[in-house]
Amino acid sequence: MPSDPRVAAALAALAKPIAEFRASVHGALQQADSFVAAHSATATARAAGAAVGLGKFADMHIDAGKFAALFPASQPAAPDAMAALERAIKVLRAVTAQGDALFVAKVTAGKKLGATIDAALADAGAAFGAIVIAELVRGGRYNAADHARLLDPSEFRAWNRAERRFAPPLVVEVDGADLYAGALLDFVDGREKIVLVVRGAAPPAPLVRCVTPGTYVLQTVDGADLEKVAGFEGPAIAALVPQGAATFAHNPSAGNETWQRLSVTFLPPLPTKAVGGFSAWQMGEDVKMLADLARTPFAVPGAPGAKSAPAIGANDAVDRLASWLLDASGVSGTN
Amino acid sequence: MPAPSATAAPAPPKVLRVPEHTVEIVSDSGEGAQKCGQIFGAVSAKMGNGVWTVELIPAEIQPPPRVPEGASGNRIRVGEHPVTNWGDRTHLVIAFNEQVLLARHRVDALADDAILLVEDKWARSDDPDIVAAWNAAMKELSGKHYRIVPVAMEDECLTIVDNPKKGKNMFALGLLARIYGRDMELIKQQIAHAFRKKSEEVYAQNVALLELGFHWAEDNIDIRVEIPTHPSTKPQVVMNGNEAIGMGCIASGMELCAMYPITPATSVSHYLSEVFEKFGGMVHQAEDEIAAVGVAIGASYAGKVAFTVTSGPGMALKTEFLGYAIMTETPLVLVNVQRGGPSTGLPTKVEQSDLLASIFGQTGDAPHIVMAPATIEECFHIMITARRLAETFRTLVMVLTDANLATGVTPYDKPTLDEKWQAAPLDLAPVREGQKAYDWNKETGLSERIIPGRPGGMFTLTGLSHDDRSKVAYSSDIHQHSSAMRSRKLAVLQSLLTPPTVYGDEKGDLLVVGWGSTKGAIEEAVDRARKDGLKVSALQLRFLSPLEPGLKEIFKKFKKVMTVEINYSDDMGDPYVTEENRRRGQLSILLRNATLVDVDCWGRVPGEPLRPMSILEAIRGRLPRGGAA
Amino acid sequence: MSYTCGLLPVLDQSDDHQYEMSEYEGARARWCPGCGDHSVLTAVQRLLAAEQLIPEQTMMVSGIGCSSRFPHYMKTYGFHGLHGRALPVATGIKLHRPELDVFVTMGDGDCTSIGAGHWVHAIRYNLNMVAMMLDNGIYGLTKNQTSPTTPQGFKSNTQPFGSILPPLNPIEVALGITNASFVAQTAEWVPSHLYATLRAAYKHKGFSFVRVLQRCPVFTPAIFQKAVQDPTRINLLVHDDGVVTPDLDRIYQTQTQHDPSDLAAARALAEQTDRINLGVFYKDPSKPRYEETRRVTPRTPAERVALLEKEFARYAV
Repeated sequence: MPSDPRVAAALAALAKPIAEFRASVHGALQQADSFVAAHSATATARAAGAAVGLGKFADMHIDAGKFAALFPASQPAAPDAMAALERAIKVLRAVTAQGDALFVAKVTAGKKLGATIDAALADAGAAFGAIVIAELVRGGRYNAADHARLLDPSEFRAWNRAERRFAPPLVVEVDGADLYAGALLDFVDGREKIVLVVRGAAPPAPLVRCVTPGTYVLQTVDGADLEKVAGFEGPAIAALVPQGAATFAHNPSAGNETWQRLSVTFLPPLPTKAVGGFSAWQMGEDVKMLADLARTPFAVPGAPGAKSAPAIGANDAVDRLASWLLDASGVSGTN
Repeated sequence: MPAPSATAAPAPPKVLRVPEHTVEIVSDSGEGAQKCGQIFGAVSAKMGNGVWTVELIPAEIQPPPRVPEGASGNRIRVGEHPVTNWGDRTHLVIAFNEQVLLARHRVDALADDAILLVEDKWARSDDPDIVAAWNAAMKELSGKHYRIVPVAMEDECLTIVDNPKKGKNMFALGLLARIYGRDMELIKQQIAHAFRKKSEEVYAQNVALLELGFHWAEDNIDIRVEIPTHPSTKPQVVMNGNEAIGMGCIASGMELCAMYPITPATSVSHYLSEVFEKFGGMVHQAEDEIAAVGVAIGASYAGKVAFTVTSGPGMALKTEFLGYAIMTETPLVLVNVQRGGPSTGLPTKVEQSDLLASIFGQTGDAPHIVMAPATIEECFHIMITARRLAETFRTLVMVLTDANLATGVTPYDKPTLDEKWQAAPLDLAPVREGQKAYDWNKETGLSERIIPGRPGGMFTLTGLSHDDRSKVAYSSDIHQHSSAMRSRKLAVLQSLLTPPTVYGDEKGDLLVVGWGSTKGAIEEAVDRARKDGLKVSALQLRFLSPLEPGLKEIFKKFKKVMTVEINYSDDMGDPYVTEENRRRGQLSILLRNATLVDVDCWGRVPGEPLRPMSILEAIRGRLPRGGAA
Repeated sequence: MSYTCGLLPVLDQSDDHQYEMSEYEGARARWCPGCGDHSVLTAVQRLLAAEQLIPEQTMMVSGIGCSSRFPHYMKTYGFHGLHGRALPVATGIKLHRPELDVFVTMGDGDCTSIGAGHWVHAIRYNLNMVAMMLDNGIYGLTKNQTSPTTPQGFKSNTQPFGSILPPLNPIEVALGITNASFVAQTAEWVPSHLYATLRAAYKHKGFSFVRVLQRCPVFTPAIFQKAVQDPTRINLLVHDDGVVTPDLDRIYQTQTQHDPSDLAAARALAEQTDRINLGVFYKDPSKPRYEETRRVTPRTPAERVALLEKEFARYAV
């Protein structure tokens, strides 16, 4: 399905969080399945199950029938609870069966970025509901009046803390013209990871609007550092942008000040043409904001242990950034 | 000084057709004898021979060259049929110097008529001390009917390499390939595998040395040994017991191995460290043995059963924590790869002396499960059962293997894997209304475990005496009851066990009882005894705590019952030793206690696996008229 | 490593449930009246309520000693372990269940004597947890024996003519260990500082070692007498990145601006013996954490079986 090779690359970089989400869903499914099996099994079937579980070493030494009889099946759950469990199992199975498709969304014509992400995560939300129902039924605490709604899709903003922590990562294909980055801020929570694969003409520094102290933000052309996005324990947003766009990384653990956390590897010239609904002026403001955030204060107290401030002119990008700033702000040089 | 025996002549080779043969390659450590032996063993297995390989390991990493204590290498017993133990004496040796050969001679490892291929450059040394040592050795060896064949290995190797130190082993492999008619293509495949991380050049050079040895033997050695082969129809795998333990751990779904390096257990973690992360697991090398078991208990308490692997001295250090796991009913799997003891003892050598310490070594009343695999195959499968029992019975399960299983290499049927062997995913459902930390079933003592994360289940685990809610309680009633609940679990497990099967007739004059790795040697000795008409049978126990049921009934059908163990026991007739003060074999103590049968014992601590012939001798010694029919 | 959702707590209590301090209270604390452990217990319960930690996803681990009764007095999951061995247990829990919040309580004997080896290595592993050493300079539970932090000359049952050795300086030790990421000191008799320090420790991502200076009302009631009576003997280390307690400014006027990222300065402060420094000595959130470096990709049973088949192929005859 991935039309763009960058989608596959993004999925590969997110392999670990994807596997973690899958393991949670799979674990819940397995527990639910064995609960149902335990309630329907005959003594013979349970003995056979025990024999398999005990392994081949036990074949000659342990009476599996007696072993199984030690643990009589617990009281079966109420019919409505069992029915809910069956529905939950169906949802979990559907989620497991989806494969990588679960982790990829596409912004299509007429749909907005935020709504697309919401819709994609709603599937995962249903999985969470299913997990909760499965656990409630197994714990004998299911109550249709309170809990039946859990299987309805729910929006990310309605998720609770724990759900957000286990939210699945998402790769989103989006046209540059549709990249309204402000919408992403709704999803900056828990450990959510979103990687945008940007197609066509795009604003040069859209993600600068996502730079907040606890969020890992990355704009990259070649996919470098995407693994860091996956490994970051808090929320992270990345965009695979077309050549010519700004590239930068905002790493929350790199320091206390924004300029310490932000490293800009390429700062593009101010745009002159509009992209979609973005005016050149608007996009230029983003670029300026990026330069501004990354600007090293001129007087930096030598703080041992902290990332030392890059000297003006230390490398190309910083050099250009500095001279551009001087130009743009009309401040005359202090060095 | 010429070699004392005639050099090989290009006469037509003498062909020996035998059902089995035992080969050794010995050298100073670091000369690659082990690689040669491993490849020879693997190729023999692939060709359809039964194979049992053991490593000969010196206690030091770099012992000085040319000293008997430094003897290092492999011993490979090759048979027409499956081989279950390392056998008796060696029939053919390739030795890289006469001192390491002497070491094998001195421990009585060599058959009286063994063929000894020995590097003879030492006889021609410029150093008079070396020549003198050679001569002295030849004199010492001449006491037996060995056939000594001098081989100028180094000189030969020098014809194609600069540093024969690194290539002699492949030359030796070539000699063996010719003598035993091994498949050269298979050998080359194995060499390619062994050197897969090295360059093509290294492979080519090793193959050249192999072929050199092969042709040299063709021209100069007149011995050929033929052992019929029966290629297996079932897929087989070949590995040592520690690798089997590691794979079993993965197959059981355990996710954490916490350990501290100790011989001979460490190689379990070597194997796991290499592959475990692929499987979503990890090896944590802790700062010490105590921390290793502490980490395992912490992880087990918080989720899936974890395991720790150690050997005698390490187990001693872990003792307090083992008691804690038992007291708090926290499941845990501990593998003790036994070595010679007490104290630091014989680090690299086999012994079965930790049995009683394993069962009774914790302070207070500390009932737990102790099991022992009897074969390398069982090392794999036992881990699945151990994990399962630890979880079900909420207790410590000890698995006792030993250096014999740990370093022995033999093929076995590839397991048919099953997903259901693996631990269930963590259950974080809210606890039932009123569910307690220890909801002991009053009959069985069994209870469901609550792990952190389960809503409504909060409690504090404690090693102090506690009630069913895990509240600290010092009252006598509660301590009596909770002790009973922990103890009851073993009675329950015993009720699930099936009586063991006797090997041989179910009645007779003598029943030999063993446990763990001695199975192959004991059964081989019993086979030989029965062939001689003796009414002897064998019984191998896997469960030591609780013991397997029905033993008394089985014992009743024999005139005499005797354990055979690799631990120390007094022999009757030793000075001062009486029936009353005799210190008995550890299993025999357990059996006497459990059955009130007067179980005799025979034990030796030779620092090597028992040989079938010594067991046979012991059997004869226990029968009237020395077992003469 | 296990991955679990643990969704229910929040669901069960509904999203807007506010945990009250009382919801973290376990059995009634049975320490002696006036024992510093009470203050720490209160501070921890307050911290949990402030951070709204989910009780069933919070772990209190301890060793053996008076202070190690701590978990019993909390309504979270607790692990009251063995003398000196709290840290290995906490390591196992955190490695297998990184999503749990782990707090460790140890006494001075527990941490710096019988468990000293684990202490050194736990700092090195740098797993994300709060490790509190409740240091009253004496073995209390076993009735008045000298500990490594007992002041020199102090008479105890085992050293009746006065403690022979100069006391161990736990802060210096901790700062000397590679990969140390958070080292702080606070005192039981300054509750707001105690709370602020524990809060900073909890907020820090990594192994937060906090030494809490305490008096044992029975055996060492006077060891900090001078400092308790004369606040000028206490020097507060203040910094936006460490601990700031404006409410203490009036009483504790001796203060030093200390940037916790400055290890050399931290070590120099730790060596001072003429006054008691309270605050965050050192903090470096960028130090690698063991649970992150050891993070593995979880596998389903089917994936494991498939991989194991491949593994067996390597050993095929």
